[in-house]
Amino acid sequence: MSAMPEVDGEGRAELMLALLADARLPTGGHTQSAGLEPALRAGMPAAQVPDYVRARLATVTRVEAATAVVARHVALAAGPVPDGAGSPPAGGASSAGVPDGVASAARGLADTWLAWTARTPSSALRETSRRLGRGYLRLLRRLSEGHPAVVALDEAAVLVADAPRADGVPDPGAGATSAARAVPGAGTDPGGRAATGRRAPQPPRPVVLGVTAACAGLSARQVARLVGYEDVQTVAAATLKLEPVDPVVATGWVVAAQPAIDALARAVADLTDPRAIPAHGAPLVEQWAELHSRTTERLFSA
Amino acid sequence: MPDILPETTPDTRSLRLGVAGPVGTGKSSLIALLCRELSGVLQLGVITNDIYTDEDARFLRSAGVLDPERIRAVETGACPHTAIRDDVTANLLAVEDLEEDFAPLDVVLVESGGDNLTATFSPALVDAQIFVLDVAGGGDVARKGGPGIARADLLVVNKTDLAPYVGVDVPRMVLDATAARDGAPVLALSRLDRESIDALTTWVQTLLAAHRAGAHVPQDPGPMAPHFHADEDGNGFLHTHEEGDASHAHDHSHADEHDGAAAEPVAAAGRD
Repeated sequence: MSAMPEVDGEGRAELMLALLADARLPTGGHTQSAGLEPALRAGMPAAQVPDYVRARLATVTRVEAATAVVARHVALAAGPVPDGAGSPPAGGASSAGVPDGVASAARGLADTWLAWTARTPSSALRETSRRLGRGYLRLLRRLSEGHPAVVALDEAAVLVADAPRADGVPDPGAGATSAARAVPGAGTDPGGRAATGRRAPQPPRPVVLGVTAACAGLSARQVARLVGYEDVQTVAAATLKLEPVDPVVATGWVVAAQPAIDALARAVADLTDPRAIPAHGAPLVEQWAELHSRTTERLFSA
Repeated sequence: MPDILPETTPDTRSLRLGVAGPVGTGKSSLIALLCRELSGVLQLGVITNDIYTDEDARFLRSAGVLDPERIRAVETGACPHTAIRDDVTANLLAVEDLEEDFAPLDVVLVESGGDNLTATFSPALVDAQIFVLDVAGGGDVARKGGPGIARADLLVVNKTDLAPYVGVDVPRMVLDATAARDGAPVLALSRLDRESIDALTTWVQTLLAAHRAGAHVPQDPGPMAPHFHADEDGNGFLHTHEEGDASHAHDHSHADEHDGAAAEPVAAAGRD
């Protein structure tokens, strides 16, 4: 994107919003049901899917949206892509050679990441978010290669890896809950490898999405609405695979969720401080996610 | 600008070999066979794509042919086509994890979810692919064609030992397949036929050598096979749904590259 001359910023934001909301986005989204599969297995009738959607938008999805909004805000501190190769970055550079803006954004992103971790009690949901975050990060690296906000995200991974943990639980990005992995986490982070040789922690999806929004020029409200819409559409689309529902009915659910999506967007769009990210919980969603992560015969990963 | 895409990291990059084919043709068994035959000489990893369960991963782990940690399941969310072709994200991440955790791996085998004749791997995910049919699915399947049958790097006609019981003429099926593939390699395989097993492992070793030498260029079997439109007089024309014939021409040269000890069609007769 850095090479595009004369870009219409508003047009680009609209295009990127449509792109990021598209189910064809190559981030592995087709493996997700936004918790719907375990909910139906637990006995929730398909007729209650609209209620399920609203409950998510008021709780776990609100945390997700707030995290993305704050991540976008703090990532903007990294500044735009410098004009021309080799020109000195604005705002000077720290002794480590990292521009001050990038270092500031990295600290903000690490705080946002840790705030999200503290507000996401289910390790299954955290693991799913990290896996999705990797898919988004892979796309972000390709679309916004070298963007200061992406550099800041890699720096944030180093900060999170070094963050002290009072509870003795493994690193928040480590993915140690997955018994299937010999070495937890993932290896796609060339800039963020931990010094010990372990893999760097993986940022969760809302943090990566917030950085993507910053790079793409989306507004806070747009990214909030994107998170809300994506969640509802994921549930609606998964319903069609799990229950006999006419697709136009499921699409109607998405449209009908607009007031709840708007409420979510209004509630989180002005947030800028990681500490202000709400901590709404949805114990059933979390419990179902935990059960689903140990279920073998499942159609969706989560 | 440095290339920061992790999948191109040369020091841990394995040969990524896809195994596709319809349900029940023996993809998992073929992978178990490769692990059994090659794990002593090559560093292997396996990714399974299960549509509904992690059955294939569990089968392979329980087969005891490879360290269970080197076998990982990717769930495809009911989209087995998507996961190996249009959105390979989940599979790529799994492959990269394996390559990093057990570096350096020589070969990562990626098993597709059992699907139909049109499912093929994207070259963005695998460097080469084996398409597996079996005699029990019917001797005419090879003639039906499809991108995997026509243009996978290797077509395996599996379970030839069952041929007498299902009334399939294996040499005929291999000839049909070879014709459908313009001479590209076809291997008649039976787990009971040592010669066919050796031919398979030799093919993999030859491919690996070509991959390491930089001589192997991943080919796309494409979403559609060339097919025949009959007209009213019983004549017709053969065409593909690709842009031009560029990739078709590729396939010919590709087949030629591997013509050698490993790439020659091997028609091992079934036991009868």
